[in-house]
Amino acid sequence: MQNIIRILRAERGWSQQELADKLDVSRQSVNAIETGKYDPSLPLAFAIARLFGRSIEDLFDDGASVAEAAE
Amino acid sequence: MTQPKGFRTASRRYKLVFWPSMGAYLAVFFAGVYLVDQETSPLALRAGFAIAVALPLFGALWALLRHVNETDEYTRMRQLQALAEGGVITTAAIFLVGLLEAFNAIADVPLFLFGAFFVAAYGLAYCRRQMGKTV
Repeated sequence: MQNIIRILRAERGWSQQELADKLDVSRQSVNAIETGKYDPSLPLAFAIARLFGRSIEDLFDDGASVAEAAE
Repeated sequence: MTQPKGFRTASRRYKLVFWPSMGAYLAVFFAGVYLVDQETSPLALRAGFAIAVALPLFGALWALLRHVNETDEYTRMRQLQALAEGGVITTAAIFLVGLLEAFNAIADVPLFLFGAFFVAAYGLAYCRRQMGKTV
């Protein structure tokens, strides 16, 4: 699943470690989520969304919206 | 079993038990080597030291299990994958060595070595996943 977490993090000037500390997860977790290697659970996705002041749909894109638009 | 507590708390609680356990293991092990004679020491002393050496290892394994339960979800997933991989590799090794023993192809291998083998297999699997490689 694609997401814009890396962009939002960069806008705030946070390192992966700083974001990991704010979410109380490992830096590897942040890296895996940003690169799309790992899709977070709903509670973690909500925590990320709350931290950036966005909705989950703003942050994550499963490709369905693109597919729907193409139909 | 304990509930998730987040990466930092889980890591701190893990280290608080794991490293003292390892220290106690080494201390008791070398005390046993120094104080126990395998030929002349009474059975109770030999058995007592064997159990005393094992107890800190139980503590370290319990700390690992608690860490898996308490850490963040991604770390937990990687830990469980590594534990599964280590378990499968160790089971394969037990079958292989056990059958080689059964057919008298090799001498008996001390059972406790498979415990160390499992920890090594788990550790290597975890490190490999750190580097982004899977089976």
